[in-house]
Amino acid sequence: MIMTQGYWVILRTEIFSLFISPATYVSTFYFLALLGVGFRFFIESFTGTNWILPPLSSLALGLLFGAPALIPFLTMRTIAEERRLGTLETLMTAPVNAVSIIAGKWSASYLFYLMICSGAYAYPLLVCIIFPEQAKSLGFNQLEHWIGGFTFLMSFGASFCAIGIFSSSITRNQMVAGMLSFSLITLYLAVMAFSYGEPSQADQFNSYEDLFAMLGGSLYRGLDKIQFFALGVLHIPTILHQLIVVFFFLSLATLQIEKIRH
Amino acid sequence: MSTEPKPLPIIEVLNLKKRYGLIQALKGISFSVGKGEIIGFLGPNGAGKSTTLKILSGLIPADSGEAKVCGVDLAEEEGEVRNHIGFLPENNPLPEELRVIEYLKFRAMLKGLRGSRKRDRIRIALDICDLERKVSERKIGNLSKGYKQRVGIADALLTEPRLVILDEPTIGLDPRQSAVTRKMMERLRGDVTFLLSSHILSEVEACCDRMIILSHGQIVAEGTLNQLQKEFINRTIFEVVALTNRMSLQKNVREIDETCELLQDEPVDVSGKKRFIFSTEKGEVVAEAILRYLVKIPDLRVFEFQIERPDLETIFLRATKKNWEENDHLGKKRSGFKKSNQLI
Repeated sequence: MIMTQGYWVILRTEIFSLFISPATYVSTFYFLALLGVGFRFFIESFTGTNWILPPLSSLALGLLFGAPALIPFLTMRTIAEERRLGTLETLMTAPVNAVSIIAGKWSASYLFYLMICSGAYAYPLLVCIIFPEQAKSLGFNQLEHWIGGFTFLMSFGASFCAIGIFSSSITRNQMVAGMLSFSLITLYLAVMAFSYGEPSQADQFNSYEDLFAMLGGSLYRGLDKIQFFALGVLHIPTILHQLIVVFFFLSLATLQIEKIRH
Repeated sequence: MSTEPKPLPIIEVLNLKKRYGLIQALKGISFSVGKGEIIGFLGPNGAGKSTTLKILSGLIPADSGEAKVCGVDLAEEEGEVRNHIGFLPENNPLPEELRVIEYLKFRAMLKGLRGSRKRDRIRIALDICDLERKVSERKIGNLSKGYKQRVGIADALLTEPRLVILDEPTIGLDPRQSAVTRKMMERLRGDVTFLLSSHILSEVEACCDRMIILSHGQIVAEGTLNQLQKEFINRTIFEVVALTNRMSLQKNVREIDETCELLQDEPVDVSGKKRFIFSTEKGEVVAEAILRYLVKIPDLRVFEFQIERPDLETIFLRATKKNWEENDHLGKKRSGFKKSNQLI
């Protein structure tokens, strides 16, 4: 009861504070503007490229690679600022626990991120409304491409926001939190973007290389999984993998709050 | 014969201990607080006051010992206690960008208040803390320290708590603003139990029913002001303003009490009036008997007579001195031991 009560109130307040923050508006505006320009050039030159996936997937990848710059603006203030002002202690004097604080703050930044993603999807929607013929020729009329792409963004956005919240929980300085979350998300993307060896298929491992390969199996070429989502196939292992990352980083952030409290 | 059950105390603490790394912040303190009492929680810096208050408000756990607040066992339901109490933390950190009314609404919702009850409780809390409508619309960052403290207290009172814990509520406030806090406590006296930690002893003396004095993580004194005066000050000091000389007055006083000592005499004005300060071991009754005797002497004119009651500051210094010396002695012993170890 305490958990849910605090969660909803914190979620509401955090969304409100994101809406009144000028930094959020500036970053969202520039992000969407750059994405819009990039998307326009991409669909204009699409026929001349050797892009094998549906053109709508370019939007999802654009949002994904822009996330290291966007997510810190949504998450860096959340806990670092509360720690700097000391209001985290005041917050804990109310009947709320660390889990509901972290979950509420994460949910708010995640919802805001999804709102920005929805804003980005307004571009292809506008193309559909204004130029229906061209939209059809680009495959924008395929609903599964929309659902797949958005699910891809939803699953990765959740883990990126969790990384941002964790970064914010370990420092009092929001700039440090922002830079840390930028670095961690970039590193995470880099790990998933590049090949570092084939994942082990063996049930048992005989060497450290096997162990690392097994542990990193789901990370292996993680971004390549876009090929499933772009066609409307929901790749469950990727979604589960991102959920594990969310759980991991939010648990670390919760432990950090508990540590500060004690 | 009355068989009415004795009301349960609001706070029951038994052998509470807490350690931060190498520092033993609480060394097994025990006390209880009844319903409606206003308790002053005193002690020098680092005595363990804030630690105790944080444990009682469910913010941090104790290492060992028992603590029950409003019937809730803190070891079992640490978070539950926050539903029954109001807590004003030291320094009272508040979100500066929110308006007072927005902040109180946020806190009320966090505490589970909804709808008309939320509105009513916010209105009542604003009224108790003298936060008029104009102030409630202002941003917290633009308020003076006094008003910020009032916002913190209004927050603590939102849920009609049975216990309100105030950690240094008047620190840095001017006397007028401190008086507002005292007025608020007076208004709620009897209905709400207050546990007030403060360094401003005159304030504690003025508004608290009972005091608990902590030093080096131990309770060194506990009781009402009268009880503490009896416990720590075993001599009665009284002063007499009279038109007489030292020798004659001392002789007259010793007729009643041979042990009475003259501590000081000083002229009051040019007319020859003098102020004499005496000390007796036999208490206020003997001092009053001395007065009755002096006024009957025909050649002696007594203008003023006053029994001086030691203030809380004197009691506080006496109560903490012994414990301070013991800890200082132990500290020296330990450092000496370390030094000898190093030499070995």
